[in-house]
Amino acid sequence: MIVGKLKPLNEIAASIAGYKNILIAGCGSCVTVCLSGGDRETMALARELSNPGLRGDAPPSIRAATFLRQCERDLVKDYLQVPAETDAILSLACGAGVQTLSSVFEKLPIIPALNTSFLGALDEPGVWREKCLGCGDCVLASTAGICPIARCAKRLLNGPCGGSSKGKCEIGGDVDCAWQLIVDRLKVLDRLKDYEKLQAVKDWSQDRGGGPRSSHRVANAPFE
Amino acid sequence: MSYFRVNEQCNGCLACVQNCPASALDYVDDGNKRKLLHNITLCARCGNCWRICPQKAVQFQSLLKGPWEEVATMELVRCVICGEPLYTVNFSADLAAKIDRSLEPLCPSHRQAHPFAIWKKISSHLIPEKETQR
Repeated sequence: MIVGKLKPLNEIAASIAGYKNILIAGCGSCVTVCLSGGDRETMALARELSNPGLRGDAPPSIRAATFLRQCERDLVKDYLQVPAETDAILSLACGAGVQTLSSVFEKLPIIPALNTSFLGALDEPGVWREKCLGCGDCVLASTAGICPIARCAKRLLNGPCGGSSKGKCEIGGDVDCAWQLIVDRLKVLDRLKDYEKLQAVKDWSQDRGGGPRSSHRVANAPFE
Repeated sequence: MSYFRVNEQCNGCLACVQNCPASALDYVDDGNKRKLLHNITLCARCGNCWRICPQKAVQFQSLLKGPWEEVATMELVRCVICGEPLYTVNFSADLAAKIDRSLEPLCPSHRQAHPFAIWKKISSHLIPEKETQR
C-alpha cells in the first residue's frame, strides 16, 4: 500500500495560514490502513489545528470528513461534499489524492498534510517497510520474491556488495541486506543455482526514466 | 438490507456483474425472476459498477455511508455514584481474575475524590480485615 507520514504540525499550521474555513479531508484507503490519514488522524488534526495558540491568530473554522478514496476523480467529483464557504482543503491523502482534489476543485487551494513516503507492507503491527519502487519491470521472479530495486540501497541487480555484513546493510540502522535475504530464500527454495545467473540489463524505460507513466484499460470504459 | 443499491433504472443488463473486478456481484435467474446479488465481504468499493452502469442505476452513496450494525450486546457496569458507564460485566470478571481481586465500580473521578465513608461502604468487602480495623 501507499504509506504516508503526517507532516510536522508547525509545517501544516504554516501552510494553512490566512485561511478561515478549512476542510480537512482524510482518505479511507491506504493512508487509513497505515494510520496516517484516516478518520482518526483527520479528527486529531482538526483538534490540533483548532488550538487557539497554534497560529497566533484566531483558529480557522474547521470541518473534517474522510472520503473513501481521494485518488478517483469521478468519485470525488460526485460524492465529496465541500461546504460552500470553504477557502482551502487540507488533504491527508497521498500525493495522488491531493492532485486529484486539485483537478476537481480548481479554484480551491489543496494543501497536503502528509508526506507520501513509499509503497510498503506491514511487517509487524505499526511497522511498514518499503517493498516496491514501482519500477515497471518486475524482477521478483528471479530474486526469490525479494526486490533488490526497492530493498537494496544501491538497487543492485547482481549483489550483494561489500557493504553487506552479518545480513545487514552498511547504511546502518536495522536495514537488512536485500541480497542476503535473496540468497537465504533461494536456499530455502532449493534454487541457489539461480544466484549464479547474471541478471539481464533491466528495462529502465518503464521506470521514471521514461517520464510520467500511465495505464489504460480500454475494456473498462463505460457503455454508451 | 444490501449495501449495494440500484434505483428503478436498473434493467438487469448485468454490466455491473460482468465488470466487477472483485467478483462481488452475481445474479440468479430463478423461475421468471432475475435477482441481482452482492457480497459486501468481497466488495472493494472501487466504484466500477457505478462507473460502468449504462443506466446510471447504481446508488454508490449507500456504499460510502452506511448504517452501523449491532455486533454484540453485553451487560454494563456503571459507577455506583454517578452512573457513568465503566466496562462490561464480562470485562470486569476477566480483569478481576487476572489481578486476583474484584474491581470497585467507580469512575476515575469518584475513585479519587468521593468521601472516604462512601468508599469504605462500597469497598468494605474488598479490604482485608486488618486494614479495616486500623
